[in-house]
Amino acid sequence: MTYLIIGASSGLGRELANKFAKEKNDLIISSRDERDLKAIRSDLEIKYKINVKCIALDFTSINEIDSKIFTENFPFDQIKGVLFPVGMMFEKDNPLLDSESMQKLLNSNFLSISYTIKKFEKYLASGKNFSIIGFGSVSGFLGRKINSIYAASKRALESYFESLAFDENFKNFNIQFYTLGYLDTNLSFGKDLKLPKGSILTLSKIVFKNREVNFKKTFFPKYWALIYLIIKVLPVSIIRKFSAIINK
Amino acid sequence: MKKQYTKEKKNSSFDKSISLNIFYTKPDKYKLLEDISFNSEKIINIGSNLSYSPLGFSKESLSMDIRKFNRILEFDLKEKLIKVEAGLTFHELLNFTLKHNLWIPQLPGYPSITIGGAVAANSHGKSCAIHGSIRKSIKSILLFHKNHGWMNLSDKENKEIFDLTVGGIGLTGTIVSVTFKLLKIESHTFTTKKFITKNIDECKKIILKESDQSAFIYSWNRADDLKNFGKGLVYKNEINNCLIDFKEFPKFKNKFSPFFIPLWNKISIKMINIIFFYFNQITKPIKDEDFIKVIFPFYGKEKYFNFFGKKGFIESQLLIDEMKFDAFMEEFKILYTKFKPTITLFSIKNMSGKQKFVRFEDNKLCITFDYINSNKNLLFMSKIDNLYNKYEILPSIIKDSRISKETFNKTYKYSYDFKNKLKEFDKYRVYQSEISKRLEI
Repeated sequence: MTYLIIGASSGLGRELANKFAKEKNDLIISSRDERDLKAIRSDLEIKYKINVKCIALDFTSINEIDSKIFTENFPFDQIKGVLFPVGMMFEKDNPLLDSESMQKLLNSNFLSISYTIKKFEKYLASGKNFSIIGFGSVSGFLGRKINSIYAASKRALESYFESLAFDENFKNFNIQFYTLGYLDTNLSFGKDLKLPKGSILTLSKIVFKNREVNFKKTFFPKYWALIYLIIKVLPVSIIRKFSAIINK
Repeated sequence: MKKQYTKEKKNSSFDKSISLNIFYTKPDKYKLLEDISFNSEKIINIGSNLSYSPLGFSKESLSMDIRKFNRILEFDLKEKLIKVEAGLTFHELLNFTLKHNLWIPQLPGYPSITIGGAVAANSHGKSCAIHGSIRKSIKSILLFHKNHGWMNLSDKENKEIFDLTVGGIGLTGTIVSVTFKLLKIESHTFTTKKFITKNIDECKKIILKESDQSAFIYSWNRADDLKNFGKGLVYKNEINNCLIDFKEFPKFKNKFSPFFIPLWNKISIKMINIIFFYFNQITKPIKDEDFIKVIFPFYGKEKYFNFFGKKGFIESQLLIDEMKFDAFMEEFKILYTKFKPTITLFSIKNMSGKQKFVRFEDNKLCITFDYINSNKNLLFMSKIDNLYNKYEILPSIIKDSRISKETFNKTYKYSYDFKNKLKEFDKYRVYQSEISKRLEI
């Protein structure tokens, strides 16, 4: 059985690749830099005696997705699932971000993922037991002045995964979506976070365990479920005032 | 200096003698390693931060932690070659190689030490009398340098930089991966024989007599008073002949956390030494021991270091010719009588190799002393420093964080050569640690 992991070169993606390989699954791993992919491939093949293929691709480009994943040689018949621990952030991301950067953020965090899923549906007509696993962000809970486009894309992605669960075409697929808070990856490295970070090792174990559940939508770390609830209950005007006080 | 992917933190040398606020980064991709290096003026590499002296940090350098680069890149069972990233720990390396009954014998004293750290320090394990230092097992290195980019180093390619990098205390650039020539290991267990010794002279004789091509020999000696000085045990570890299936070592965790109050003092050291010595006298002289206990003797005994408290300790490791050993020890004892230092550990082993550049390596006896970090002990150690020239002693700058520039220049005869070649290679001297700055390397 083979899993495709998009964004496997670092952080959660690398940890997922390690976990799925340890459980003796073949992998197709993808990310931008071929050097990281090759290092991961060697490591996993040597340690776990599995087969790993690398696809170096820029996931912000729909053309590259078509030309590097959806090719004649791609082993669609062997694929058991696809995971999207992928994302992009820009330090300058705000509501007035330039359109080129905005497009990149939208693509890597939302459009490229939904495009890939749509294409997979075509190749996997029955979809029986095929897993589609997405990862959102708690930044999508509410609008924000920094990482605005990233947050908007992640909220769109969450909505898209919910839609998959309602869609008749995907009824045989296993659809899972994890809304992620702070994780112990380089994205949070050196940042003064007020709340504890979740372990990507723990998360990878949870994702693997749930991989064949028909539908799953959850938070990681779990305490974000409570924060989500509070944010959804409180009027936005109160949150804005509270935010202004904190930022003073 | 604060940039993306960096953070400020307080860092201490393992012996706790130096603590500084440093900038720290931990890249996890090749591109990030390159970008961070290009954007930093001064850099130094850090692994598990278990080096006794401050080799992995400095106030002005960005400490680049390479532990995310911990993958096995190539493995050739037939040729007994393995290429691994420098952030891999010895625990991870051995968990893989021992399954194939292969290893490198020059293992540093703690399992969570990284490959990069061991190469930069030219580590030598218990078997250094037979196998020399880790230099002997290295086939090639992949180095990244801010100004030179990616460089393959080996005896055939960039030989001079290869030579500078092994034991070059991380000053030539970031060691990213290393290829080792592995050796076959007959078993994962050892037979340990112990010999009781009444004094230093007897201890030295046993070490030299029992040295052969298959055993690791080292001693534990008392140094808690002059009357019992040198009394102790010599251990001889031989690899067993019976090969049993290798069971992976459990996940290692650093358990180093100094106690608030130091617990080592003259009374506690004496008590522990007496108990340890007499316990060893009444127990079997020959027994089978597992790999971890023999190779990583301090794993599970981290309390020994924690007992030094927040002020820590200072380790002095000295290489001395066996012909000069007796006279040196006599003078040592005279100074001991006068200054009454508090020594927690005293050990002797044999070493083989060739001294060059800033490497701690030679065909000599290797003596180790651990001292409580106190003014009285520092004064005693400074008096011992004065004997280095007379007895042609080489002190370890990896272990002893207090070595002065003057002592270093006098004892490391080839250090000028190292400095000149390093400056020639890197005129901006990008990679600098607290030690390299103090010793003006």
